[in-house]
Amino acid sequence: MASIGTDTFFAPLSDLNASLKAREFSAENLARAFAERLQQLGPRYNALALPLPAEALRQAREVDKDLKRERFRGPLQGIPYGVKDLLAFAGQPTTWGAKPYAGQVFDYTATVIQKLSAVGAVLAGKLSMVELAGGGGYRFPSASLTGPGLNPWDRTRWSGGSSSGSAAAVAAGLVAFAIGSETSGSIVTPASFCGVTALRPTYGLVSRHGAMALSWTLDKLGPFARSAEDCGIILQTIAGKDSKDPGSAGRSFYYTPQYARPMKDLRVGYAPADFAEWVEPATRPAFETAIGVLKASGLQLVETKLPDFPYGAALSTILAAEMGSIFEPLIASGKVDELADKPQIAGLKASLELPAKDYLKAMRLRRLMQEEISRLFGTVDVLVAPGRAGIASKIDQPLDRGGGGGAPPKDPGFRSIIPMGNLAGLPALVLPCGFAENMPVALQVVGAPFSENTLLAIGREFQSHTDWHKRRPPGV
Amino acid sequence: MKLTRRKLATVLASATALAAQQPAPTPAATDDLKAARDRLQANARALATTPIPMATEPAFQFKS
Repeated sequence: MASIGTDTFFAPLSDLNASLKAREFSAENLARAFAERLQQLGPRYNALALPLPAEALRQAREVDKDLKRERFRGPLQGIPYGVKDLLAFAGQPTTWGAKPYAGQVFDYTATVIQKLSAVGAVLAGKLSMVELAGGGGYRFPSASLTGPGLNPWDRTRWSGGSSSGSAAAVAAGLVAFAIGSETSGSIVTPASFCGVTALRPTYGLVSRHGAMALSWTLDKLGPFARSAEDCGIILQTIAGKDSKDPGSAGRSFYYTPQYARPMKDLRVGYAPADFAEWVEPATRPAFETAIGVLKASGLQLVETKLPDFPYGAALSTILAAEMGSIFEPLIASGKVDELADKPQIAGLKASLELPAKDYLKAMRLRRLMQEEISRLFGTVDVLVAPGRAGIASKIDQPLDRGGGGGAPPKDPGFRSIIPMGNLAGLPALVLPCGFAENMPVALQVVGAPFSENTLLAIGREFQSHTDWHKRRPPGV
Repeated sequence: MKLTRRKLATVLASATALAAQQPAPTPAATDDLKAARDRLQANARALATTPIPMATEPAFQFKS
């Protein structure tokens, strides 16, 4: 049997699966190696919420029995992974990253975990997160039961939120892939800061049964992985109709790169001001190079404007109304005061005072936004923008530093693409595209609902010309 | 048990002292709550800048 070395922890899914099938190492040995690494290095980044070594070894032994009998269950069979600690796993604590729920145990398992178990994927542990996925609006990275998420590229910087542990664990090779969630930026931000590829699926494509609810009309689950290819493989497994999720779109997803449209046929909307003015100066060379790669691939980049709407205000209003309703018992009980972040506590309390008319106004505006965005995707196939405007912030730096108060920009570009994309339920793919000050930066590619195969095709093309997604943090 | 005026005064004084020990909202917490309320109101003002046709219904479903 081949030894399990450091390269194994950063191998693509196809390589790991091929090695398992070829019996180069057993699923049990692979699970043990990942589980030990997760337990050893996870706390270094405050990325680990709950190790599950016994459960992982039990699942892996079952996989070995299947492999011995040549019962192949697909490319995730025997692959160790982690989930954000907002997904229920029967009989084990699910803390939602928050002290008031530290002892919470469910007697059922989230659909996503069930689907992954069915194909033989091995759950190695639960990963840390911002408390309540950031509901209420947190001001400091320390807003988590496990402490601030530390970035594997520089532990003095934040790993991003709210899927902090999912991004950090993949970046550091502690799991082969991870599941996170996004309500507004919680996949895009940590993936960008940690330099990993991640996919925010179309709203309703992946069941949220068993996941903490923050906003019924905004919440989505998606994968963090090593490449666009791996994201496609994982999405195919976790997507699909689920009667237990009222928001389920009732659609499956089949990853079909063989049917991808030629790059030269795709029109990519972008705002030059994003890359020339909005992003931090240190990141501009990386973004310029990345745009050059997209153009060299044959993609048609066309200057585009987003429909003019107050996206941020609409999203914040909808989120406040829905989370206020969801967490009213927590707020009314006073246990909300046990949360780590004081502004977040205040945000949750204030959410109960939101007038119904404001929520309905935001939801009516959302309808107009969706109609205009649908028209926009009649003129372009995808939109491309910076994942974040800068590199990960320092962990002791307030997250609202420098926000607001200034004059509005002359050209807003795509600055609202995260709230816009989430309000319209659009999928987004995060692609690492370089470094600034030794920290990762990334692009996000956003498409029309259920256009994941187009996004993944662009991602595959981009990653066939670059190796940013293969870079490893120092010391791992 | 007979409750004398002196005992009653002692009991009432203790209750007052206990009430005084209850954590009152700190100035920081009050400021945070005001800031959170201000944000909600600012959002409402921003939403009001876009006219909405009467027939526009709230968006609760997404379709491709």
